[in-house]
Amino acid sequence: MTDIRTVDQATAPATEQRVPSSSRWWVLGAVVLFALALPSARFLGSYNYVLQLATIAFMWIALASSWNILGGYTGYISLGHNVFYGVGGYVAGMLLLELGWSPFVTAPLAGLVAMALGLVAGLITYRAHGTSFIISTVAMLLVVTLLMDNWSYLGGSNGLSLPLPGFDVSWLKVPFYYAMLVAAIGAVILGHRVQHSKFGLALRAIASDEVKAEMAGINTRKYKVMAFAISAFFPGVVGALWGYSLSYLRPVIFLIIAVAARMVLMSIVGGRGTVAGPVIGAVLIIAIDEASVSLLGSSELNLAVTGLLLVVTLLFFPLGIVGTLREHNRLPAWLDWD
Amino acid sequence: MTQVQVLILGLLLGGVYALMASGLTLLFGVMRVVNLAHAAFIVLAAFLSFFLWEGAGIDPLVSLVVTVPVFFLLGMAIYRTVFPRIEGSPRFTEMTVLMTFGFAFILEGLMSKYFTGIFRQTKPPYAQDAIILGDLYVPTGQLYAAITSAVFLVALWAFLKYTRTGYGVRATMQNRDAAQLVGVDVRRVSTVAFGMGMALAGAAGALISFVFPFYPSRHWQWIAILLSLVVLGGMGSLKGAVVGALGLAVISSFVSTHIGAVWAPITFFGALFLMLMVKPEGLFGKKARA
Repeated sequence: MTDIRTVDQATAPATEQRVPSSSRWWVLGAVVLFALALPSARFLGSYNYVLQLATIAFMWIALASSWNILGGYTGYISLGHNVFYGVGGYVAGMLLLELGWSPFVTAPLAGLVAMALGLVAGLITYRAHGTSFIISTVAMLLVVTLLMDNWSYLGGSNGLSLPLPGFDVSWLKVPFYYAMLVAAIGAVILGHRVQHSKFGLALRAIASDEVKAEMAGINTRKYKVMAFAISAFFPGVVGALWGYSLSYLRPVIFLIIAVAARMVLMSIVGGRGTVAGPVIGAVLIIAIDEASVSLLGSSELNLAVTGLLLVVTLLFFPLGIVGTLREHNRLPAWLDWD
Repeated sequence: MTQVQVLILGLLLGGVYALMASGLTLLFGVMRVVNLAHAAFIVLAAFLSFFLWEGAGIDPLVSLVVTVPVFFLLGMAIYRTVFPRIEGSPRFTEMTVLMTFGFAFILEGLMSKYFTGIFRQTKPPYAQDAIILGDLYVPTGQLYAAITSAVFLVALWAFLKYTRTGYGVRATMQNRDAAQLVGVDVRRVSTVAFGMGMALAGAAGALISFVFPFYPSRHWQWIAILLSLVVLGGMGSLKGAVVGALGLAVISSFVSTHIGAVWAPITFFGALFLMLMVKPEGLFGKKARA
């Protein structure tokens, strides 16, 4: 084990000397309590817009944090991770249509199916490194899109309509809100567990130098495939919830590459390979999205803004917000969740 | 349709794909840059040809004299402004993938906004015509496109083989550090090579403007196909890109005839996955440096 620790320290020297602080627990606790209490604002007036925005933010926190397990810790960039998001949506949607099972119940199952698919994808691509790996994830996305577009049982490119849940309309958004909140917290905790496990150590060793990691006795193949599978779970879960909340499923909702780009962008803007990074990135990008759509009034230009943010971040702060602040020892304790 | 007919259509298509992929593989070979925006630039060039055709009635084959130099200059400018900044980063290639991924979205967003998402195509008379040979037919549009592609590829090969700069480019492809040591101005060679890669995108754009209908978001489909055949041929190998393009286009044309046109792209991705499992460095690739 000593060898792996050396590799790890080379990549993250700062983590060892961190001063333990309780302030982050206060801040995190306050945020979670606020999030839990937010739907009660319903009694004050119509807060559907705020609830919807928060639900979307939770979903992206779960997506970006999951992407980060493979793209951040392991250093394997997937540009096709929305495949698992789509699979989750369709698995839960079909279970609802065929068997009448509520996606609120089947969401974890959809996550497991996505995970199984992640395992298969990992087994196909584990021999590819760096660029070939990235290209194979793009190809995976296009293969799945082609299948979904032409699979008549799943509605093809026209998609499927799902029945709405039988709640009172004015409270309709609340169960989705809580379910996404649980998924987001789950994904962040998963990221934190991975970060602090021997498994996460192995992933970071792979990210810093795969050949050395292999030499140090890490079964890199096994760990990469596992990272791929684990990072597919929560996208499946939130895909199931999101499809149900829209009440229809269509390949373009889940499978356009812009969805994958979002996951990548959020993790990179926030800071790849950190626990807090994808969360900060997701909240920031959702806020910028809302602002840019209302200011520019066009979703096409919003796409260009997404691209521009990615380029600017890579050119000027390749470590992202959390990574850059940490490098300069300016990271406030409440943002240091590692 | 006879099998020979399918073969002919596949080869013509492959010729165009080979040109589209050649710029991509050149950039990777010389600079280790993976340009995910390559197809987006091709679509941009196709729009340039389209507007020259619609606005001034200029034939897309003639518009090559505009798109090629414009994209050559554009390429050199992009290389000089962006890439020196990230040259020293430890995971340079991965960085270029993400950076050009961003470029692709910028281009797609701007094109969708200002050129709209309507299907476009330049329609010179030869694009709807065909040469009939017995029971075979050869669509002239695709034939001209394939011939022009072949001319560009031969010119590229001759440039790399017989000119001093081309010599420097090949030296840089083989070993960047060693080329620098023996006195190749790697920076200048890279700038020129980047310009040439983009000029090839400019040429491909003018050709596809009458071969395929195009719209801004179509580039994802193309880049995935191009990257698949570049990986298949071996990243950075021009010979690999051409062989991969012709081979896969022929197979996909058979798939398209016998199984269904929508499944044709699966050929490229299926071949990519097979290659990754069997020989990850590709047909003509050097063992990857991790």
